[in-house]
Amino acid sequence: MKKFFLLALTLFSFQAYAIDDPSALIRELNKKFSQVNDYTAHIRMTFDIPGVRMNAMNGKVFFKRPDRFRIRTKGIFFLPKQNPLQNMSAMLLDTSSYTSIISGYEVVKGKKCAIVNIIPLRNSIDLVLGKFWIDVAHPLVMKTQITTKNNGTIETENVYASNSTYTLPDQIIIRLETKKIKISKMMAADLNKKSKDTSNDNKLETGTIILSFSDYKINTKFADSEFDKAE
Amino acid sequence: MNEFLAILKNELIKTIRRPRSYIGFGVIAFICLMLQGAFYQDGKELLSTVTAQFDNIFNVQGNILNGNLICYIVLQTLIVQMPMLVAFVTGDQVSGETSTGSIRFLLTTPASRTKIVVAKWLSGLVYTLFLLLVLGIFALFVSRAIFGVGDLMAMNSEGLTIIRADDINWRWGFAFLIAFLSLSVVASLSTLLSCIMDNSITPIVTVMAIIIIFTIIGMFDMKSFDVIKPFLFTTHMISWRSLFEDPLPVDNIVASCAILFLHVVIFLGAAIFYFKRKDITN
Repeated sequence: MKKFFLLALTLFSFQAYAIDDPSALIRELNKKFSQVNDYTAHIRMTFDIPGVRMNAMNGKVFFKRPDRFRIRTKGIFFLPKQNPLQNMSAMLLDTSSYTSIISGYEVVKGKKCAIVNIIPLRNSIDLVLGKFWIDVAHPLVMKTQITTKNNGTIETENVYASNSTYTLPDQIIIRLETKKIKISKMMAADLNKKSKDTSNDNKLETGTIILSFSDYKINTKFADSEFDKAE
Repeated sequence: MNEFLAILKNELIKTIRRPRSYIGFGVIAFICLMLQGAFYQDGKELLSTVTAQFDNIFNVQGNILNGNLICYIVLQTLIVQMPMLVAFVTGDQVSGETSTGSIRFLLTTPASRTKIVVAKWLSGLVYTLFLLLVLGIFALFVSRAIFGVGDLMAMNSEGLTIIRADDINWRWGFAFLIAFLSLSVVASLSTLLSCIMDNSITPIVTVMAIIIIFTIIGMFDMKSFDVIKPFLFTTHMISWRSLFEDPLPVDNIVASCAILFLHVVIFLGAAIFYFKRKDITN
């Protein structure tokens, strides 16, 4: 009985520590990240970008630590310059490059999350501020909001299922603000179309890209040549 | 029927033997090869003017500069030129013979005037078809051979539409069909003017003038022009572009095709009507 209380007390104190200490949460996350040396998965991408009409497309994703990443598919697709698949783990793993604080708590998809702010310590880093909503019970990044000097702010929402132990999401919803893409009437040679009201052209609109993953193969040590193979 | 086929065969032979018939093929081949060469050299730079506006936010991955995009750009470039090439040959089919007097010999044959006009019109359509085939070979197949096949990033004033490579061949097929229908309107108008006028140059120049004027009216966003735009055949001639929109504006495409077809019927009907009553005084 005494041992049980001792164990319960230890677990409780760890949980309390984890909730309050951003470093502990990030450490737990990095432990999970570091289990993954490489992975491949099928990917389905759907796009809702202002001014761009394109159908969903399928492909295969390849990742190798620390940040080698490629989506192999036939055709044209748009990905944010800040690729969350490539950047998130690399960003958090380099703990010497940032300081972290918890700015609050929020419930995301029924899970209590700590909002961990990552502030870079060096000016040379592109990151301005990274906000990570991390599940405090089972450290997983549920949501991010990353602001960089060059590429503005992008938000992601992660949905986990069978590969949550590896922090590999089954779905990432990326939201970013962009001006509507427009082509001049002369460039488009769209001679008969009426010119539209351009007063709102500089207004920012939200674009969404949904990446859905399936058939993960983790730590298979695939060849580096997969990154260079033709589509 | 045999009589009609004989006249048609005769008209086709006349078209084949005329040196001017080959100018169109040469112009198309030259324009296509010139644009392909320019895009091969500077295409990425030109495309960067389009992609620059989202370059800081998105990475566009995949082969944008491919054969389908080049074909799309070439077809857009030839909006004004193709009707001129058609008019150049079909514009003097009747008036040319009227001015030389050879129409008199043609009219001494047992064939009716209607059959003669229809045969001339049909030979013009056959020429138009071959012109489009050459355009298709150079603009689409040669471009694909040089730049490869890939998704089409169709640019229109609404933005960008990405058409997947496996969903594009049927669109090109219909686009060329609509282009054929559009050029048939030009061929029919040329035939009509050729029946009305008595020298070979005036109908050609008149058709070109009409197309240039209509195209200019179509270019400007002015309320006074908006009223007449739907009635101009040039407005509907570029409806092939709608095949590269998503969702496909089927109603607009069908309406444009119907209007173009109506123009063909009216112009050809008017040509027959006029030619049947025409006094050959030359």
